[in-house]
Amino acid sequence: MENLLYIALFSPLVGSLFAALFAMSPKNIITGIVTSALLLISFIASAILFEHVMTVGAVHVTMMDWIMAGDMLIPFGFLVDQISVTMMVVVTLVSTVVHIYSIGYMDHDKSFNRFFSYLSAFVFSMMVLVMSDNFLGLFIGWEGVGVCSWLLIGFWYHKEDVSRDVNPSISPSWAANEAFIMNRIADLGMLIGIFILYWNTGSLQYDVVFAALPNLSDGILVAAAIALFVGAMGKSAQFPLHTWLTDAMEGPTPVSALIHAATMVTAGVFLIIRANPLYAMEAVEWVSYFIASLGTFVAIFAASMALVCRDLKRIIAFSTLSQLGYMFAAAGLGAYWIALFHLAAHAFFKALLFLGAGNVMHAMNDELDIFKMGGLKKVMRWTYLYMGLASLALSGIGIAGVGLAGYFSKDAIIETAFNEQNYILWIILIVTAGMTAFYSFRQVFLTFHGSKRYADTEIHPHDMYKYVLIAMSPLAILAVIAGFFKGWFEEFVTVLLPAYKMSEETHHIAWILGLVVIAFAVGGIVLAYIKYNKGLKRNEELENSLVYRLLSNQYYIPQLYDKIFSKPYAAFSRFSWLTLDQKIVDATVDGIGNMIKTGGDNTRKIQTGNLSDYLRWMARGVVLLVIVAFISHQLSQGAN
Amino acid sequence: MLEPISVSLESLNLITLSPMLIAIGGALLILLIDLFKDNLDKTMYVMLTMLILFIDIGATFSLNINERGFFDLMLVDGISVVSQLIILVTSLLFIPLALTASNNRFHEYSYPEYFALFLFMVAGLQFMVSTDNLILIFVGLETASLSLYTLIAMHNTKGSHEAAIKYFTMGAMAAGFFLMGSVVVYATTGSVELYEVAKILQSQGVDGLSSIIAPLGGAVLMLVAIGFKVSLFPFHMWTPDVYEGSSAPMAGYMSIVPKIAMIVVAMRFFGIYINLNIEAVSYLIIIVSVITMTLSNMMALVQKDVKRMLAYSSISHAGFVMAALALGTTKANSSIFLYYGLFMFTNLGAFAMLWISRHKAKRFHGRYDHPYEKFSGMISAHPIAAVIMAIFMLSLSGIPPFSVFWGKLYLISSVVDFSAATGESKYIVLAIIMVLNSAVAAYYYLKLIVYMFLKPPVNELNLVYTNKSLALATVIGFLVMATILSIFYVQPLMEFVTYLVSSSGY
Repeated sequence: MENLLYIALFSPLVGSLFAALFAMSPKNIITGIVTSALLLISFIASAILFEHVMTVGAVHVTMMDWIMAGDMLIPFGFLVDQISVTMMVVVTLVSTVVHIYSIGYMDHDKSFNRFFSYLSAFVFSMMVLVMSDNFLGLFIGWEGVGVCSWLLIGFWYHKEDVSRDVNPSISPSWAANEAFIMNRIADLGMLIGIFILYWNTGSLQYDVVFAALPNLSDGILVAAAIALFVGAMGKSAQFPLHTWLTDAMEGPTPVSALIHAATMVTAGVFLIIRANPLYAMEAVEWVSYFIASLGTFVAIFAASMALVCRDLKRIIAFSTLSQLGYMFAAAGLGAYWIALFHLAAHAFFKALLFLGAGNVMHAMNDELDIFKMGGLKKVMRWTYLYMGLASLALSGIGIAGVGLAGYFSKDAIIETAFNEQNYILWIILIVTAGMTAFYSFRQVFLTFHGSKRYADTEIHPHDMYKYVLIAMSPLAILAVIAGFFKGWFEEFVTVLLPAYKMSEETHHIAWILGLVVIAFAVGGIVLAYIKYNKGLKRNEELENSLVYRLLSNQYYIPQLYDKIFSKPYAAFSRFSWLTLDQKIVDATVDGIGNMIKTGGDNTRKIQTGNLSDYLRWMARGVVLLVIVAFISHQLSQGAN
Repeated sequence: MLEPISVSLESLNLITLSPMLIAIGGALLILLIDLFKDNLDKTMYVMLTMLILFIDIGATFSLNINERGFFDLMLVDGISVVSQLIILVTSLLFIPLALTASNNRFHEYSYPEYFALFLFMVAGLQFMVSTDNLILIFVGLETASLSLYTLIAMHNTKGSHEAAIKYFTMGAMAAGFFLMGSVVVYATTGSVELYEVAKILQSQGVDGLSSIIAPLGGAVLMLVAIGFKVSLFPFHMWTPDVYEGSSAPMAGYMSIVPKIAMIVVAMRFFGIYINLNIEAVSYLIIIVSVITMTLSNMMALVQKDVKRMLAYSSISHAGFVMAALALGTTKANSSIFLYYGLFMFTNLGAFAMLWISRHKAKRFHGRYDHPYEKFSGMISAHPIAAVIMAIFMLSLSGIPPFSVFWGKLYLISSVVDFSAATGESKYIVLAIIMVLNSAVAAYYYLKLIVYMFLKPPVNELNLVYTNKSLALATVIGFLVMATILSIFYVQPLMEFVTYLVSSSGY
């Protein structure tokens, strides 16, 4: 099993290095094939490990001693248990599909090989993140995915900056930097959390740390929980660190599917699930409650922005944000396994949705404005089917125990809120479910139904390559059937995670609760159908209303950040540079340099090139040495 | 009637002489070959010399440590072996640099005498380090020096003649000081054998000014002679001029081999004082070395010629090493040898890089062969050469993981350890001065990198590598690898050196 673990972990790295060999050379299809094949291997290894964990139990290996300094001993170890193996299977499965998809999608890109190198490097980092058996390894993976995400968002770094009115995310490189810097801020919190835990438990191994938790004081537990959650907020783009995620859509669409929907952004949720012994402590109860509340807030907050968004990918990004909110809500309420289940299910249908969006983009020559699309269902039959399915799954359509993936996972979260008798959260989550259905189908109808609004352009849309469409099918199948494994999955992960059972009463009225959710979801879809199926009828008055503009400008939060943080910080940097650095630090350094240089110029004068002078200097030197020797003698006598 | 002196051959322990005898025999062989057959190609002599050096290395390796021989004149101890190895390996790397691309450009190499003299010099240096008899040290020193003067002059340019004369004249004066120092030592102790001197000084006692004044005077005179060879301030004057005048590989060679030989002598001689706890001598050496490294660094900053800059830099490296010598601990002494062992690769490499770009006509500057401007924009014209040169420069400035970094690390840590062991905070000050000097030195090394990588070429004159040949490229390639990969061998090397040094009590 140990070998399988290493195969699962290192195949993506091998693929990445292999593709990197060709980084500077022109497109070579082999890089795509090899990296995809290696990921498939990784997936198969993960799947076998899954079976092993299920039947035998967790696998824990220590590869080598990593850091040994004083009392600090951190082995480089990996842990494959119920949580990590779930993540591994999800990550490798989605990555494999996305890799194959990218062979088609990146077909015409001149940096084809580089792309695959980055993409596989990302998968490797993600695997390190989920498989590590200690917080430091997790942090390495955490930073690794951050770097890869930066590389991939800024993949088309050559694009020029434009103003925010033209493109809200300015340029790929701007978006990449924004994502990276915002994550750095959050990572500081995460690091502090790790430090607190190390400082107080003397270890970074999960098992040791968690075993030591009951001995810690409440204050420390709360501090650690908050600090770690700050890290999770950055990576999972929770308010107020959420702006980077929608801007990250500047990256190629497969990247959005893999990193900014299915895997990396869920790392924050993963962290909370991983650290569930900490968050389940009584002392940090209110932190968990805060997490649930914030998650719920983000769910409706992001959904509201999606309602009016015109950008195909951004709508999906907002929906990702919203779904991450759901996951945090579940985790915060203590239903860790439900959060993990929604994480997995969401990964499938959200990746599918993004890949479908990629097909549309590919067909429409990178056009993203859904107001300029329409009527695509005839020419893009398969994509229509996939995106329709994914949207149904996202909306949580299903009834009486039969439904798509989202029906099972999202409903369970909403039910949890009810079960906790937290009716405010419950109502918000239900309303959000309705909004989710509305914006998902608004997007589907505007894209695929109605008239061809692109007719007056030169675009001739066509569906993606056959093999790409086939490669997407596993995700489509899973989006449909993943929900049926709910009971089985619960049994599997609750070996490790706390079992969360609905109370008797909740159980009784579960069908009513389900009906309410379905009613909202179907209501959303119907509303979207009425409004958009026939085509786009724009309503000037509505579009100019305050609420609409507030929503479509993301509540003016990016502008606000710009004013509050970026501009003053830039001003401060300029001040530091021009005044502090150039006038004080540089001047001091230059002064020392000049002093030494002047000294050199002066000393140089004794080097006349005249032999007699040299001999004279030797004689002087002897006298000098005698004097120095005498002084030294006196010094040493004085010292004794 | 005089008794016939009978000495058993066994008691002579001639094996201790074998390394020098091989070098001398080789030199004589070269002269004989020349006698019988003229106009042999220089390649033959280069290969022959290398072969002899190889055998010499083998003989050195086979020596038993801590043995005396030849009426106890010879002393084969750890520092003798390790310094001989440094001398021989450097020589082995130096000699193939004669194989420049064009056969007749540098005619010093077409004389077989050049190689014979070179081997005589090596033998002289080997004698210097393998004895603790002041007279034999002097003989070895003069054998080596006189050969060296000639070798420099054989470069046969105006500059090289000037350099040889300057070096010779000042060397003669230094030799005088060496003899005067020996005389003072002999006068106070009645012996020229250093181990005897140590015993007698110990029994005489060294307390009070009257008993110390004569030994101290001897030490001062010796320090002049040693300071001249090792190029300590203010006896370093010859160094830049001589380096500028001689061929680049010779300059690189001189910055290592004669110095390491003299450092061994210094270790033996001043070791006596340090063991007797005569702190005045330690202070004297430290003061001189601090002045040396500081002033030479300052002067290196304002040089316009890369070779002169390297000359001053080698002075400052020598000052660095001498500071550790004053401590007298095993770690300090081992670090010195390690330092030179690692410095050898880098410094010889840097000078060799100058060598392959040497052009007869001074195309870039009225006086200098290698002004900084010559290397402007080198990265675009000769990217690989520029990167190699940059690696050597980074190594010289002590940037990890290149070789000189490890040397500096061990050297400075030996100073810090000494400070911790003795509880004297002033040695921490010394360590700080050393670090600051390294920082200053980085400036002029990086200056060359700035010229190579960041400045546009000055004019249409391209830097040409006229002398580049496969042999030179091989040597430089080896030196580069040794510089880069030092991280992998520095630990075992240090252990080996420490073993040798500590086995003979230094």
